[in-house]
Amino acid sequence: MPPSRHVIACATVIEEMLPLVPPGVTCETLDFGLHVDPARLRRALQEAIDRSEAGEVILGYGACSKAVIGLQAKRCTLVVPRVDDCIGIFLGSAAAYRQQARKEPGTYYLTKGWIEVGDTPFAEYERLSRQYGAERAERIIRQMLNHYTRLALINTGRHDLERYRAYARRTAERFGLRFEEIPGSDALIRRMLFGPWDGEFVVIPPGGTIRYEHFFPVEPASDAEVLPHEDHR
Amino acid sequence: MVDRLVTAIAEMREEEALAITRELLGAGTPPTQILDDCRAAMEIVGQRFEQGKYFIPELILAGEMLKAISDLVKPHIKQEAEVKKLGKVVLGTVRGDIHDIGKNIVGFMLDANGFEVYDLGIDVPPEAFVEKVREVQPQVVALSGFLTLSYDSMKETVEALKAAGLRDRVKIMVGGGTVDEKVCTYAGADAFGADAMAAVTLARQWTR
Repeated sequence: MPPSRHVIACATVIEEMLPLVPPGVTCETLDFGLHVDPARLRRALQEAIDRSEAGEVILGYGACSKAVIGLQAKRCTLVVPRVDDCIGIFLGSAAAYRQQARKEPGTYYLTKGWIEVGDTPFAEYERLSRQYGAERAERIIRQMLNHYTRLALINTGRHDLERYRAYARRTAERFGLRFEEIPGSDALIRRMLFGPWDGEFVVIPPGGTIRYEHFFPVEPASDAEVLPHEDHR
Repeated sequence: MVDRLVTAIAEMREEEALAITRELLGAGTPPTQILDDCRAAMEIVGQRFEQGKYFIPELILAGEMLKAISDLVKPHIKQEAEVKKLGKVVLGTVRGDIHDIGKNIVGFMLDANGFEVYDLGIDVPPEAFVEKVREVQPQVVALSGFLTLSYDSMKETVEALKAAGLRDRVKIMVGGGTVDEKVCTYAGADAFGADAMAAVTLARQWTR
Protein backbone atom coordinates (compact mmCIF):
# COMPACT_ATOMS: atom_id res chain seq x y z
CA MET A 1 0.00 0.00 0.00
CA PRO A 2 1.43 3.41 -0.93
CA PRO A 3 2.08 5.79 1.96
CA SER A 4 -0.77 8.09 2.90
CA ARG A 5 -0.52 11.68 1.70
CA HIS A 6 -1.42 14.92 3.42
CA VAL A 7 -1.36 18.42 1.93
CA ILE A 8 -0.63 21.50 4.04
CA ALA A 9 -1.19 24.61 1.95
CA CYS A 10 -1.58 28.34 2.18
CA ALA A 11 -5.16 29.60 1.83
CA THR A 12 -4.30 31.14 -1.55
CA VAL A 13 -2.79 27.95 -2.93
CA ILE A 14 -5.25 25.37 -1.66
CA GLU A 15 -8.12 26.35 -3.90
CA GLU A 16 -6.00 25.75 -6.98
CA MET A 17 -5.12 22.32 -5.58
CA LEU A 18 -8.50 21.17 -4.30
CA PRO A 19 -10.09 20.43 -7.71
CA LEU A 20 -7.19 18.05 -8.43
CA VAL A 21 -6.80 16.33 -5.07
CA PRO A 22 -7.38 12.58 -5.49
CA PRO A 23 -9.50 10.65 -3.01
CA GLY A 24 -7.65 9.57 0.09
CA VAL A 25 -5.36 12.61 0.18
CA THR A 26 -6.19 14.85 3.11
CA CYS A 27 -5.83 18.64 3.03
CA GLU A 28 -5.21 21.31 5.58
CA THR A 29 -5.17 25.08 5.09
CA LEU A 30 -3.05 27.58 6.98
CA ASP A 31 -3.85 31.24 7.35
CA PHE A 32 -2.65 33.38 4.48
CA GLY A 33 -1.61 36.20 6.82
CA LEU A 34 1.28 34.10 8.16
CA HIS A 35 3.37 34.90 5.10
CA VAL A 36 4.33 38.33 6.40
CA ASP A 37 6.00 36.74 9.42
CA PRO A 38 8.28 33.91 8.27
CA ALA A 39 9.15 32.77 11.81
CA ARG A 40 5.49 32.39 12.72
CA LEU A 41 4.73 30.65 9.43
CA ARG A 42 7.61 28.23 10.11
CA ARG A 43 6.24 27.41 13.57
CA ALA A 44 2.71 26.90 12.21
CA LEU A 45 4.03 24.64 9.45
CA GLN A 46 6.16 22.57 11.83
CA GLU A 47 3.20 22.10 14.16
CA ALA A 48 1.01 20.99 11.27
CA ILE A 49 3.70 18.59 10.02
CA ASP A 50 4.15 17.14 13.51
CA ARG A 51 0.39 16.66 13.91
CA SER A 52 0.03 14.78 10.65
CA GLU A 53 0.20 11.01 10.67
CA ALA A 54 0.61 10.71 6.91
CA GLY A 55 3.65 9.05 5.40
CA GLU A 56 4.11 11.88 2.89
CA VAL A 57 3.41 15.53 3.62
CA ILE A 58 3.19 17.91 0.66
CA LEU A 59 3.57 21.62 1.34
CA GLY A 60 1.61 24.03 -0.83
CA TYR A 61 4.29 26.67 -0.35
CA GLY A 62 7.49 27.86 -1.95
CA ALA A 63 10.54 29.08 -0.06
CA CYS A 64 8.24 31.93 1.07
CA SER A 65 10.81 34.32 2.56
CA LYS A 66 12.67 31.22 3.71
CA ALA A 67 9.87 30.26 6.08
CA VAL A 68 10.17 26.60 5.02
CA ILE A 69 13.90 26.46 5.69
CA GLY A 70 14.58 24.64 8.93
CA LEU A 71 11.40 22.54 8.80
CA GLN A 72 11.96 18.99 10.03
CA ALA A 73 10.41 15.96 8.37
CA LYS A 74 10.63 13.81 11.53
CA ARG A 75 8.35 10.80 10.75
CA CYS A 76 7.20 11.66 7.23
CA THR A 77 8.67 12.39 3.84
CA LEU A 78 8.36 16.11 3.24
CA VAL A 79 7.78 17.48 -0.25
CA VAL A 80 7.98 21.16 -1.32
CA PRO A 81 8.10 22.59 -4.83
CA ARG A 82 11.40 24.38 -5.36
CA VAL A 83 9.98 27.82 -6.17
CA ASP A 84 10.60 31.20 -4.55
CA ASP A 85 6.98 31.65 -3.54
CA CYS A 86 3.43 30.76 -4.58
CA ILE A 87 3.61 32.80 -7.79
CA GLY A 88 5.89 30.05 -9.12
CA ILE A 89 3.22 27.49 -8.18
CA PHE A 90 0.48 29.40 -10.01
CA LEU A 91 2.65 29.91 -13.09
CA GLY A 92 3.56 26.23 -13.21
CA SER A 93 7.33 26.33 -12.66
CA ALA A 94 10.21 28.28 -11.19
CA ALA A 95 11.43 28.87 -14.75
CA ALA A 96 8.12 30.41 -15.82
CA TYR A 97 8.24 32.69 -12.79
CA ARG A 98 11.77 33.78 -13.58
CA GLN A 99 10.82 34.42 -17.16
CA GLN A 100 7.93 36.68 -16.12
CA ALA A 101 10.10 38.40 -13.55
CA ARG A 102 12.84 38.98 -16.07
CA LYS A 103 10.43 40.37 -18.60
CA GLU A 104 9.14 42.94 -16.14
CA PRO A 105 10.66 43.07 -12.65
CA GLY A 106 8.09 45.62 -11.46
CA THR A 107 5.15 43.26 -11.56
CA TYR A 108 2.50 43.08 -8.88
CA TYR A 109 0.89 39.65 -9.15
CA LEU A 110 -2.70 38.96 -8.22
CA THR A 111 -4.69 35.76 -8.21
CA LYS A 112 -8.27 34.98 -7.29
CA GLY A 113 -7.05 33.71 -3.94
CA TRP A 114 -4.99 36.80 -3.17
CA ILE A 115 -7.93 39.03 -3.99
CA GLU A 116 -10.19 36.95 -1.75
CA VAL A 117 -7.89 37.04 1.26
CA GLY A 118 -7.54 40.77 0.80
CA ASP A 119 -3.87 41.17 -0.02
CA THR A 120 -4.22 43.85 -2.66
CA PRO A 121 -3.14 47.49 -2.92
CA PHE A 122 -6.77 48.56 -2.28
CA ALA A 123 -6.96 46.56 0.92
CA GLU A 124 -3.55 47.81 2.05
CA TYR A 125 -4.62 51.38 1.34
CA GLU A 126 -7.76 50.92 3.45
CA ARG A 127 -5.72 49.58 6.37
CA LEU A 128 -3.19 52.41 6.11
CA SER A 129 -5.94 54.99 5.84
CA ARG A 130 -7.42 53.91 9.13
CA GLN A 131 -4.03 54.05 10.81
CA TYR A 132 -2.40 57.09 9.24
CA GLY A 133 -5.17 59.03 7.49
CA ALA A 134 -5.90 59.26 3.77
CA GLU A 135 -3.11 61.63 2.79
CA ARG A 136 -0.28 59.68 4.40
CA ALA A 137 -1.83 56.37 3.29
CA GLU A 138 -1.74 57.58 -0.30
CA ARG A 139 1.92 58.57 0.03
CA ILE A 140 2.86 55.25 1.63
CA ILE A 141 1.07 53.15 -0.97
CA ARG A 142 2.65 55.15 -3.81
CA GLN A 143 6.05 54.43 -2.25
CA MET A 144 5.25 50.76 -1.82
CA LEU A 145 4.31 50.52 -5.46
CA ASN A 146 7.13 52.78 -6.59
CA HIS A 147 8.82 51.26 -9.67
CA TYR A 148 5.98 48.80 -10.18
CA THR A 149 4.72 49.08 -13.74
CA ARG A 150 2.44 46.12 -14.28
CA LEU A 151 -0.38 44.42 -12.46
CA ALA A 152 -0.57 40.83 -13.65
CA LEU A 153 -3.67 38.77 -12.95
CA ILE A 154 -2.76 35.10 -13.16
CA ASN A 155 -5.48 33.12 -14.88
CA THR A 156 -5.17 29.50 -13.85
CA GLY A 157 -8.09 28.62 -16.09
CA ARG A 158 -9.92 26.98 -13.24
CA HIS A 159 -12.32 29.70 -12.17
CA ASP A 160 -14.71 32.21 -13.58
CA LEU A 161 -12.54 35.28 -13.29
CA GLU A 162 -14.92 38.02 -14.44
CA ARG A 163 -15.41 39.60 -11.04
CA TYR A 164 -11.73 39.31 -10.16
CA ARG A 165 -10.65 40.65 -13.53
CA ALA A 166 -12.81 43.73 -12.99
CA TYR A 167 -11.33 44.20 -9.54
CA ALA A 168 -7.77 43.76 -10.81
CA ARG A 169 -8.39 46.25 -13.62
CA ARG A 170 -9.76 48.81 -11.16
CA THR A 171 -6.74 48.24 -8.92
CA ALA A 172 -4.37 48.78 -11.82
CA GLU A 173 -6.11 51.99 -12.87
CA ARG A 174 -6.32 53.36 -9.36
CA PHE A 175 -2.62 52.84 -8.68
CA GLY A 176 -1.26 53.69 -12.11
CA LEU A 177 -0.25 50.22 -13.24
CA ARG A 178 -0.72 48.55 -16.61
CA PHE A 179 -3.20 45.69 -16.41
CA GLU A 180 -2.26 42.40 -17.95
CA GLU A 181 -3.75 38.94 -17.70
CA ILE A 182 -1.20 36.16 -17.87
CA PRO A 183 -1.88 32.45 -18.17
CA GLY A 184 -1.19 30.24 -15.20
CA SER A 185 -0.54 26.53 -15.24
CA ASP A 186 -1.45 23.61 -13.03
CA ALA A 187 1.63 21.64 -14.14
CA LEU A 188 3.45 22.06 -10.84
CA ILE A 189 0.35 21.42 -8.74
CA ARG A 190 -0.32 18.19 -10.64
CA ARG A 191 3.21 17.00 -9.96
CA MET A 192 2.94 18.04 -6.31
CA LEU A 193 -0.07 15.75 -6.00
CA PHE A 194 0.86 12.92 -8.34
CA GLY A 195 4.62 13.13 -8.84
CA PRO A 196 7.15 12.67 -10.19
CA TRP A 197 9.02 14.68 -7.59
CA ASP A 198 12.00 15.51 -9.74
CA GLY A 199 14.58 18.30 -9.55
CA GLU A 200 11.84 20.90 -9.25
CA PHE A 201 11.00 19.55 -5.82
CA VAL A 202 12.73 19.44 -2.49
CA VAL A 203 12.11 15.96 -1.07
CA ILE A 204 13.19 15.40 2.51
CA PRO A 205 13.26 11.85 3.93
CA PRO A 206 12.04 11.13 7.48
CA GLY A 207 14.42 12.60 10.03
CA GLY A 208 15.73 15.20 7.58
CA THR A 209 15.58 18.99 7.62
CA ILE A 210 14.94 21.48 4.81
CA ARG A 211 18.17 23.38 4.41
CA TYR A 212 18.97 26.63 2.67
CA GLU A 213 20.97 24.77 0.03
CA HIS A 214 17.89 22.84 -1.06
CA PHE A 215 16.37 26.04 -2.41
CA PHE A 216 19.46 28.06 -3.16
CA PRO A 217 22.17 25.59 -4.18
CA VAL A 218 25.69 26.96 -4.40
CA GLU A 219 25.99 25.41 -7.84
CA PRO A 220 23.30 26.52 -10.30
CA ALA A 221 20.46 24.01 -10.11
CA SER A 222 18.61 22.22 -12.87
CA ASP A 223 15.90 24.83 -13.38
CA ALA A 224 18.52 27.55 -13.55
CA GLU A 225 19.98 25.78 -16.56
CA VAL A 226 16.70 25.78 -18.40
CA LEU A 227 16.95 29.51 -18.78
CA PRO A 228 20.38 31.10 -18.66
CA HIS A 229 20.77 33.75 -15.97
CA GLU A 230 21.15 36.74 -18.17
CA ASP A 231 18.47 38.84 -16.71
CA HIS A 232 15.78 38.15 -14.20
CA ARG A 233 13.80 39.49 -11.30
CA MET B 1 16.43 61.64 28.83
CA VAL B 2 15.27 60.43 25.46
CA ASP B 3 15.62 63.13 22.86
CA ARG B 4 12.36 64.65 21.65
CA LEU B 5 13.42 64.33 18.03
CA VAL B 6 14.30 60.67 18.46
CA THR B 7 10.87 59.99 19.96
CA ALA B 8 8.99 61.95 17.30
CA ILE B 9 10.68 60.02 14.48
CA ALA B 10 10.39 56.64 16.19
CA GLU B 11 6.68 57.26 16.87
CA MET B 12 6.04 58.31 13.25
CA ARG B 13 5.05 61.86 14.20
CA GLU B 14 6.24 63.46 11.02
CA GLU B 15 5.14 67.07 11.45
CA GLU B 16 6.44 67.18 14.98
CA ALA B 17 9.80 65.76 13.88
CA LEU B 18 10.17 68.45 11.23
CA ALA B 19 9.08 71.21 13.63
CA ILE B 20 11.64 70.07 16.20
CA THR B 21 14.34 69.95 13.54
CA ARG B 22 13.60 73.55 12.50
CA GLU B 23 13.57 74.60 16.12
CA LEU B 24 16.91 72.90 16.81
CA LEU B 25 18.54 74.40 13.74
CA GLY B 26 17.17 77.82 14.72
CA ALA B 27 18.71 77.44 18.15
CA GLY B 28 22.08 76.68 16.58
CA THR B 29 22.18 72.96 17.34
CA PRO B 30 25.03 71.34 15.39
CA PRO B 31 23.69 69.44 12.35
CA THR B 32 25.76 66.42 13.37
CA GLN B 33 23.75 66.18 16.57
CA ILE B 34 20.50 66.19 14.63
CA LEU B 35 21.82 63.45 12.36
CA ASP B 36 22.88 61.49 15.44
CA ASP B 37 19.28 61.70 16.63
CA CYS B 38 18.09 60.42 13.26
CA ARG B 39 20.46 57.51 13.61
CA ALA B 40 19.23 56.74 17.13
CA ALA B 41 15.63 56.92 15.92
CA MET B 42 16.36 54.59 13.01
CA GLU B 43 17.83 52.08 15.42
CA ILE B 44 14.55 52.06 17.33
CA VAL B 45 12.55 51.78 14.10
CA GLY B 46 14.81 48.92 12.99
CA GLN B 47 14.32 47.09 16.27
CA ARG B 48 10.56 47.45 16.10
CA PHE B 49 10.58 46.19 12.53
CA GLU B 50 12.60 43.19 13.67
CA GLN B 51 10.14 42.57 16.51
CA GLY B 52 7.18 42.68 14.16
CA LYS B 53 5.79 45.87 15.70
CA TYR B 54 6.53 47.91 12.59
CA PHE B 55 6.12 46.92 8.97
CA ILE B 56 7.07 48.27 5.56
CA PRO B 57 4.76 51.35 5.84
CA GLU B 58 6.65 52.50 8.94
CA LEU B 59 9.98 52.07 7.14
CA ILE B 60 8.59 54.23 4.34
CA LEU B 61 7.41 56.93 6.73
CA ALA B 62 10.75 56.85 8.55
CA GLY B 63 12.57 57.06 5.23
CA GLU B 64 10.51 60.09 4.21
CA MET B 65 11.14 61.80 7.53
CA LEU B 66 14.88 61.20 7.21
CA LYS B 67 14.88 62.68 3.76
CA ALA B 68 12.89 65.73 4.82
CA ILE B 69 15.12 66.27 7.86
CA SER B 70 18.29 65.88 5.85
CA ASP B 71 16.98 68.42 3.35
CA LEU B 72 16.55 70.87 6.22
CA VAL B 73 19.90 70.06 7.78
CA LYS B 74 22.10 69.91 4.68
CA PRO B 75 22.39 73.65 3.97
CA HIS B 76 23.74 74.06 7.50
CA ILE B 77 26.37 71.37 7.02
CA LYS B 78 27.83 73.19 4.04
CA GLN B 79 28.43 76.23 6.19
CA GLU B 80 30.62 74.20 8.50
CA ALA B 81 34.24 73.52 7.78
CA GLU B 82 34.59 71.11 4.89
CA VAL B 83 33.63 67.67 6.11
CA LYS B 84 36.17 65.06 5.25
CA LYS B 85 34.44 62.14 3.65
CA LEU B 86 35.25 58.78 5.18
CA GLY B 87 35.13 56.90 1.94
CA LYS B 88 33.13 56.07 -1.16
CA VAL B 89 30.30 53.59 -1.44
CA VAL B 90 28.66 52.41 -4.65
CA LEU B 91 25.14 51.30 -3.79
CA GLY B 92 22.27 49.78 -5.73
CA THR B 93 19.37 47.33 -5.90
CA VAL B 94 20.60 44.46 -8.06
CA ARG B 95 19.25 43.48 -11.45
CA GLY B 96 15.77 42.07 -11.51
CA ASP B 97 14.71 43.73 -8.29
CA ILE B 98 12.98 47.06 -8.02
CA HIS B 99 12.61 47.42 -4.27
CA ASP B 100 14.46 50.35 -2.81
CA ILE B 101 12.89 51.36 0.49
CA GLY B 102 15.63 49.67 2.52
CA LYS B 103 18.34 50.64 0.08
CA ASN B 104 17.35 54.31 0.31
CA ILE B 105 17.55 54.20 4.10
CA VAL B 106 21.01 52.62 3.86
CA GLY B 107 22.03 55.36 1.43
CA PHE B 108 20.78 58.03 3.77
CA MET B 109 22.54 56.56 6.79
CA LEU B 110 25.85 56.17 4.95
CA ASP B 111 25.58 59.74 3.71
CA ALA B 112 24.67 61.02 7.17
CA ASN B 113 27.68 59.22 8.56
CA GLY B 114 30.15 60.86 6.28
CA PHE B 115 30.36 58.57 3.27
CA GLU B 116 30.21 59.65 -0.33
CA VAL B 117 27.37 57.56 -1.72
CA TYR B 118 26.90 56.74 -5.40
CA ASP B 119 23.38 55.35 -5.61
CA LEU B 120 22.78 53.57 -8.90
CA GLY B 121 19.08 53.06 -8.23
CA ILE B 122 17.10 49.90 -8.95
CA ASP B 123 17.36 46.94 -11.32
CA VAL B 124 21.06 47.68 -11.71
CA PRO B 125 22.83 45.29 -14.09
CA PRO B 126 26.25 43.89 -13.07
CA GLU B 127 27.93 45.91 -15.85
CA ALA B 128 26.63 49.17 -14.36
CA PHE B 129 28.21 48.30 -11.01
CA VAL B 130 31.47 47.43 -12.77
CA GLU B 131 31.45 50.68 -14.70
CA LYS B 132 30.78 52.82 -11.64
CA VAL B 133 33.39 51.02 -9.54
CA ARG B 134 35.95 51.59 -12.27
CA GLU B 135 34.99 55.27 -12.49
CA VAL B 136 34.84 56.34 -8.84
CA GLN B 137 37.05 53.65 -7.25
CA PRO B 138 35.06 53.16 -4.06
CA GLN B 139 36.26 51.18 -1.07
CA VAL B 140 32.82 49.67 -0.62
CA VAL B 141 30.12 48.20 -2.86
CA ALA B 142 26.69 47.67 -1.29
CA LEU B 143 24.24 45.33 -3.02
CA SER B 144 20.59 45.42 -2.03
CA GLY B 145 17.79 43.01 -2.87
CA PHE B 146 14.37 42.25 -1.47
CA LEU B 147 13.28 39.20 -3.45
CA THR B 148 14.84 35.78 -3.10
CA LEU B 149 15.14 36.07 -6.87
CA SER B 150 17.83 38.71 -6.27
CA TYR B 151 20.38 36.29 -4.81
CA ASP B 152 21.57 35.19 -8.21
CA SER B 153 21.95 38.79 -9.35
CA MET B 154 24.13 39.50 -6.32
CA LYS B 155 26.28 36.52 -7.23
CA GLU B 156 26.49 37.68 -10.85
CA THR B 157 27.45 41.19 -9.78
CA VAL B 158 30.29 39.89 -7.60
CA GLU B 159 31.42 37.66 -10.46
CA ALA B 160 31.34 40.57 -12.90
CA LEU B 161 33.54 42.61 -10.57
CA LYS B 162 35.90 39.65 -10.36
CA ALA B 163 35.99 39.27 -14.13
CA ALA B 164 36.77 42.98 -14.48
CA GLY B 165 39.72 42.59 -12.10
CA LEU B 166 38.11 44.89 -9.54
CA ARG B 167 37.05 42.39 -6.89
CA ASP B 168 40.22 42.76 -4.78
CA ARG B 169 39.95 46.54 -4.68
CA VAL B 170 36.56 46.67 -3.00
CA LYS B 171 34.74 45.21 -0.03
CA ILE B 172 31.24 44.05 -0.87
CA MET B 173 28.28 44.02 1.49
CA VAL B 174 24.84 42.54 0.81
CA GLY B 175 21.52 43.19 2.53
CA GLY B 176 17.77 43.60 2.26
CA GLY B 177 14.65 41.46 2.62
CA THR B 178 15.59 37.89 3.42
CA VAL B 179 19.29 38.32 2.70
CA ASP B 180 21.53 36.77 5.37
CA GLU B 181 24.98 35.23 5.96
CA LYS B 182 24.16 32.31 3.68
CA VAL B 183 23.29 34.62 0.82
CA CYS B 184 26.53 36.51 1.43
CA THR B 185 28.46 33.26 1.08
CA TYR B 186 26.38 32.24 -1.95
CA ALA B 187 27.03 35.56 -3.67
CA GLY B 188 30.71 35.61 -2.76
CA ALA B 189 30.40 38.95 -0.96
CA ASP B 190 32.42 39.97 2.09
CA ALA B 191 29.70 40.64 4.63
CA PHE B 192 25.99 40.78 5.28
CA GLY B 193 24.36 43.71 7.05
CA ALA B 194 21.06 43.21 8.86
CA ASP B 195 20.05 46.88 8.77
CA ALA B 196 21.19 50.36 7.84
CA MET B 197 23.30 50.76 10.98
CA ALA B 198 25.09 47.50 10.23
CA ALA B 199 25.88 48.91 6.79
CA VAL B 200 27.44 51.97 8.40
CA THR B 201 29.45 49.85 10.86
CA LEU B 202 30.77 47.66 8.05
CA ALA B 203 31.65 50.62 5.85
CA ARG B 204 33.52 52.21 8.77
CA GLN B 205 35.51 49.04 9.41
CA TRP B 206 36.40 48.77 5.76
CA THR B 207 37.55 52.35 5.33
CA ARG B 208 39.50 52.67 8.56
